[in-house]
Amino acid sequence: MGLKKPRSGADLRPIAERAYARDEAGLGVQLDDPDPALRRWAARDLASHPGAGRRLCARLLVESDPSVREALFTSAAQVGGHAVVDGILPLLRSEQPALRNGAIELLGGLPDVVAPRIQALLQDADSDVRIFTINLLGNLSHPGVPQWLVQVLAREDEINVIGAALEVLAEVGGPETLEPLRAVRARFGDNPFITFAADVAIERIGSA
Amino acid sequence: MKTEAVTAAPIITEADFKKFTEYFYRKTGIHFDDSKRYFVDKRLVDRIGATGAADFRAYFVGLRFETDGRELQNLINSMTVNETYFFRECYQFDCLVNHLLDEVVAGKRKGDRVRIWSIPSSTGEEPYSIAIYLLERWARIDDFEIEILSSDIDSKVLQAAQDGIYSTRSVAQLPKSYLNKYFTPCANGDWRISRDLVESVEFSRINLTEAGDTRRFRNIDVVFCRNLLIYFDDLSRRVAAEAMYDALNPGGFICLGHSESMSRISSLFRVRRFPDALVHQKPLEDRT
Repeated sequence: MGLKKPRSGADLRPIAERAYARDEAGLGVQLDDPDPALRRWAARDLASHPGAGRRLCARLLVESDPSVREALFTSAAQVGGHAVVDGILPLLRSEQPALRNGAIELLGGLPDVVAPRIQALLQDADSDVRIFTINLLGNLSHPGVPQWLVQVLAREDEINVIGAALEVLAEVGGPETLEPLRAVRARFGDNPFITFAADVAIERIGSA
Repeated sequence: MKTEAVTAAPIITEADFKKFTEYFYRKTGIHFDDSKRYFVDKRLVDRIGATGAADFRAYFVGLRFETDGRELQNLINSMTVNETYFFRECYQFDCLVNHLLDEVVAGKRKGDRVRIWSIPSSTGEEPYSIAIYLLERWARIDDFEIEILSSDIDSKVLQAAQDGIYSTRSVAQLPKSYLNKYFTPCANGDWRISRDLVESVEFSRINLTEAGDTRRFRNIDVVFCRNLLIYFDDLSRRVAAEAMYDALNPGGFICLGHSESMSRISSLFRVRRFPDALVHQKPLEDRT
C-alpha cells in the first residue's frame, strides 16, 4: 500500500446510469427529484443552459435543502439576465434570512440588469424591502449607487431605512454627498441614531 | 477605470487607509492592520499611478464601482505574494498528518483508499510536499492506499511538475535529510525529484470553474486549494466551492491559504479548528 496512482481517470468515480436526460427539460424534471443529491446536480448542470433562469428561481422558492439552495443560487448567478432578476427579486420579501441574503448577494453581481429596478425598489411600500435594497446597493458595483442613496436621504421618512443608507454612504459617498448628509442630519436633528450615523459619514467623507 | 493626469505622488490619509482596508477585507477576507500601513500605502500609490487616477478618492471610486472587477484583481495581485516552494505553509501539512487523516481513516478499513487533491498543482511543489509529508510523518501510510491527485489549468506548469526540476530556492525549506533522500543534484545546481514521487502523483489539466472538468473528481478526502480562490471573482469562487463540495466525501476537508476563508464564499462548509490550522469541512451528515 502507501502512495498509489489511480489507474485511469475513470477510476475517480463509479459509473452510474442517469435517470434523467441531460438537456434542459430533463434537468428541470430532475430539479424536483426527492433526492437532494440529484436536485443539486441538476441545479449545477442547469448553469450551462442560458434559458434555465426561470426554472432555477422557481425551484428556489420551494427548495428546503441548504446545499441544493446554494447550488441554485450559484447557477442562477451564472445564468444571469432579466429572467433571473425577475425570479430573484421576490426573495427580498422572504421571511427566511438565508433566501434574502442569497438574493442580495446574487443581485449584487448583476449590476447592469438590476440598475433599472432600483428606483422602484427604493419606493416599495414595504420598508423592509427598501432596507434590503440599500443592503443590495452596498454590494452593487454601479456608479449610480451614491446618487440613489442621496435620493433616499431626501425622500425617506423611515428611520431604519435612512440609517441603512447612511451606513453605505459612509463608504461610497464623495464630497458631493456632504450637503445632502448635512440636510438629513438637520431634518432628523432630534434623533440621536440618525445624527450619530450622519456625523460618522460626514467625518469619514470629509477627512478622506 | 477612468484615467486622469497625475502630477505628484498621491497621499493616503488615515481615513483613506481605514476605508480601503475595510473594503478590501470585505471583498477578499484579507485584513491589513496598522502595522502593514507602509506595505498597503506603497501598493495603493503604485496602483493609483498605474491607472492614472488623480488621487486616492478617484481611484477608490473607480475600484468600488467598476463592473468588470479588473482593477480589484490587479490590486489583489499586488497585495499578495504568489510564490510556491516545498513545505510552504507547512503547518497545514502538520495538521494533515497529525489530525485530518486520523479523522478521515476513522471511517475506513485497512487497505481502503485515501484520496487527496492538490489544486493548483503549479510546478508540483505542493503535491510532492504532501507526498513527502505522508511518507515521512504519517505512521499509518502503509495501512491505506493513498492517491494524490493534482490539477492545474496551465499545461506548462503541469509539464514542469512532471519534469520535476527545482531551484535551490524552491527546496530551501526542506530538511537536508529529505532533500538527499528524494532529490538528486543536477550539474547546474538545480535539484531533480525522484521519479518514484513523480509517478505517485496523478496530474491533470482542469479549470476548477468548469463543471465538465471537475465532474469526475469524486470521493476526495482532503482538498488543498491554497492561494487560488483569492485570484477568482466572487462568482467563480462560488462555482469552485460547489465543485469542491461535490468532489469531497462527507466529512472531507478543505485547506485554503492562510488569508482565505471559505465562510466568505459559501455556507456549505463548517469551520474546524485544529491545533495546527483552521480547516473547512463538508458536513458528515450530508447525503450528496
